[in-house]
Amino acid sequence: MMESYDVAIIGGGSAGLAALKQLSNLGKQAILLEAGKQVGTKNISGGILYSKKPKTGRVYNVEDVYGPEFLKDAPVERKITQYMLHSTSRNKVFTMNLTAAHEYQANFGYSVLLNRLNAWFARHAGESAERQGGGIVSGVHVRSLSWQGDKTVVETDELEPFEAKAVIAADGVNSEVAEITGSRPKFTPEQLYQGVKVVVKLPEEIIEQRFGIGPDEGAAHLFAGDVTLNHIGGGFLYTNRDTLSVGAVYHYDSLMDRPAEPYTLVNALLKNPMVAEFVKDEVAIKEEIDKNLPKEEQLRVRFAVSKLIKTWNELRDVWYSPAARKKLVEAGKYKTEEEIKARLDSVQNELANKYHTKFVTDYVELEYSAKLVPDGKRCAMKKPYFKNVLFVGDAAGRGVFIGPRIEGLNVGIDDAVRAANAVARAIDRNNFGPQYMGEYYSQLIEESPYTRDMKEIDKDYVKIFLDAARDVPKDIIGQRYGMVFRLMSSGTLRGLAVGFANILGYDKLLPLVESEDTYVQVPVELAEKMGRPIQATYEPTLPTVAQRVARLKYDDDRISHIKVLDSKSQFMKKMVTLCPTSCYSMEGGDVTLQHEACIECGTCAKETEWRHPRGEKGVIYQYG
Amino acid sequence: MANLNVAVIVKLEPDFSEGNVSYNADGTLNRAETKSILGPHSAVASSAAFYAKVRYGASVAVATMGPPIADSALQQAQLLCDADELYLYSDRMFAGADTLATAEVLKTGISKLEGKMDIVFSGHRASDGETGQTGPQTAWKLGFTFLGNVIDYDVDMQNRIVRARRMISLQGFYDVVEEVEAPLPVFIAIDPSYKASFNTVSQRLAFEKYQKEAKERAQNYKQYLKVFNAQQLGVDPKLVGLPGSPTIVYKVERIPKAKASRRAEVVDGTNREQLAKVATRMYEVVGGMVIK
Repeated sequence: MMESYDVAIIGGGSAGLAALKQLSNLGKQAILLEAGKQVGTKNISGGILYSKKPKTGRVYNVEDVYGPEFLKDAPVERKITQYMLHSTSRNKVFTMNLTAAHEYQANFGYSVLLNRLNAWFARHAGESAERQGGGIVSGVHVRSLSWQGDKTVVETDELEPFEAKAVIAADGVNSEVAEITGSRPKFTPEQLYQGVKVVVKLPEEIIEQRFGIGPDEGAAHLFAGDVTLNHIGGGFLYTNRDTLSVGAVYHYDSLMDRPAEPYTLVNALLKNPMVAEFVKDEVAIKEEIDKNLPKEEQLRVRFAVSKLIKTWNELRDVWYSPAARKKLVEAGKYKTEEEIKARLDSVQNELANKYHTKFVTDYVELEYSAKLVPDGKRCAMKKPYFKNVLFVGDAAGRGVFIGPRIEGLNVGIDDAVRAANAVARAIDRNNFGPQYMGEYYSQLIEESPYTRDMKEIDKDYVKIFLDAARDVPKDIIGQRYGMVFRLMSSGTLRGLAVGFANILGYDKLLPLVESEDTYVQVPVELAEKMGRPIQATYEPTLPTVAQRVARLKYDDDRISHIKVLDSKSQFMKKMVTLCPTSCYSMEGGDVTLQHEACIECGTCAKETEWRHPRGEKGVIYQYG
Repeated sequence: MANLNVAVIVKLEPDFSEGNVSYNADGTLNRAETKSILGPHSAVASSAAFYAKVRYGASVAVATMGPPIADSALQQAQLLCDADELYLYSDRMFAGADTLATAEVLKTGISKLEGKMDIVFSGHRASDGETGQTGPQTAWKLGFTFLGNVIDYDVDMQNRIVRARRMISLQGFYDVVEEVEAPLPVFIAIDPSYKASFNTVSQRLAFEKYQKEAKERAQNYKQYLKVFNAQQLGVDPKLVGLPGSPTIVYKVERIPKAKASRRAEVVDGTNREQLAKVATRMYEVVGGMVIK
């Protein structure tokens, strides 16, 4: 006898977990299948989780799903209180304060790292689900879905098949469920962004000092101009508690036109003098060990130095974190906080004097990652269901991507609640038919304010930008834009123009708005003419892609989860450049794949047979 | 709810893992310096008991004979198998026990447990004694069917039958897997290669649930712990400890290091003639294999 469950949720990201929590809140039984060994090890996000307060309609926010507990003890990083847009050209930067745009219709926006946050979500959702006879099963990769009567049989690589009455597909932008069911074609480069991110280490109080923020505040900095290397997209830098998320997000089709290695885009950002100054830190550099010493002595010195540097790093993090300082003193390890500082100095002295360790200015990179981001304006599923399978979040192609406004996590959570509500209603009636459940979900999604944002230009949001750019002389940003600015400055005309644009159709306008002009030329011009000069005090040492990959953790699978279909196609040839971890190379006239370094972003998915790795296999992110 | 009762007998052993073990100058184990942990084979036995808990909702008891600090072995075992009860049989009288005297204590303890035991698990052997006798002797004293080298088992709850697969090594030849059936109660000595696998959603969910419970329980393991001395246990003093031991270990000798018997010959890599000699020699050794 096959086991049977009411609901199977596929994918343990923020959306899948929210669906599990919501269903459990409603007293329904659901199980969630996650391919990673633990929830959170496969998740990557640019890094801001919003809670929205729309003008009309309602959204389901993270705190609605998880309750007041979320605000009390969820491991979010920092509440973003400053939101800046920088136009760059070489060493010149022109800055606009877009905090008003960030706060527009928002209760809050937190910077987050998903490894920790999703683990917290999983604990809460898992406990609630357990009470309803469900729960989270990790390390399980769903291979196929098939239908027998009104039941769906779920097959995995790891477990015996089981039945479910309803399925929620939350398996991300590279949704295999979408492919298995044929419910939507794979996304095309025009519909996607490629995001690459590095997590940079920086002690807590140094962050606060450098960004001019308090202990409970955070800053977000966006970059456009020459840092984009003439591609359509931009860079970002968000402050976390004691790390920074630094990344680049680019129109995938722009990268297809003129392929650039993804890491060169991040490197360009890191090399920008402003960013370089933001990420800089004090780094200990080991001195070469004297090769003339006896072998044992060399070994002893190497161990001693490594250990001291580790201690120095750890103590330094403690010294720059009030909470960590307090904890160490309370634990009785040190009598006073000053004693920690004294110890830190003595370790540093020992390193410098005894072992000739140099302390230099550089930055410390912790994790390199990449992800595809769906642009909801272009690829949100019109009917986000197939039979009794409901698609949510990235899997349904739903993300809000408007200028600097990038929202995905909160959209996925809102979708998930709507899907859970539709499923719960279907369980009550024992009717999982597409009319009763799928159509109803489709309707709920249609009512979502996020869907409205994916379809229409919001004139109030436009105004915020115009206000932010009020001081910019109209003539210096090119004739075309100058005219638009002047036109839009009047409330009535703006209302008319936006109204007209919405009638014309948002999608028809996009190629005009999202162009190289907007993302590169105008910012460069702004920076050149109005920017202030910024000088970097050092040159960051940028790791190679091989070094970045070497720092990642993997559970290797001998069998590749990706199959190249046509090793001679133009698309695959571009993958040699576009794969963030350089898994593809040319051999003779053929593109060959070495899958071991794959970080499962799906950039190559369009023309490959692309699967997520089997349960527990593949990349294991530590930060997310 | 549980209608399957299982027990595991475990042993606190020196931690032989790298970096933790310490020897005296004469080559004997320095027991004071070496940390003690739950023996690796006991750990495997515990995970086999956990399988019974996850699959059949079994109630699990863990028992050990040893000094008071042996309760740490029970705690570690509880973390592995989410034990409902922990038993420590501890008395000066038990000191110097060989396998037979140990089996007497364990048998008496297991017989005293609430509810009739259906399966008793033990490890394959201890990592310090290596005799592998305590398990079988306890089985014999209990009068249970003994199944050794078990790599996998299932219980037919309806018919109260155990189906087990045993790994039998025919030394120097090959390994065979034997499938056996036995009515409960049985004593299972678990093979070191045993690995529990959970293949259905419900098993995985139960696994998660009990694992979480195990963590919580092991943190407060004393709450589940009962300590018995010889008198409370009601053992016959003649059958336990030194008096009950027909064997004693009176001397341990180190195995002498084998003398190296390799002879090295230096070949000049630029000399073709000498290289040809190497090739011929390699050909002799690997025999007929084609080297490309």
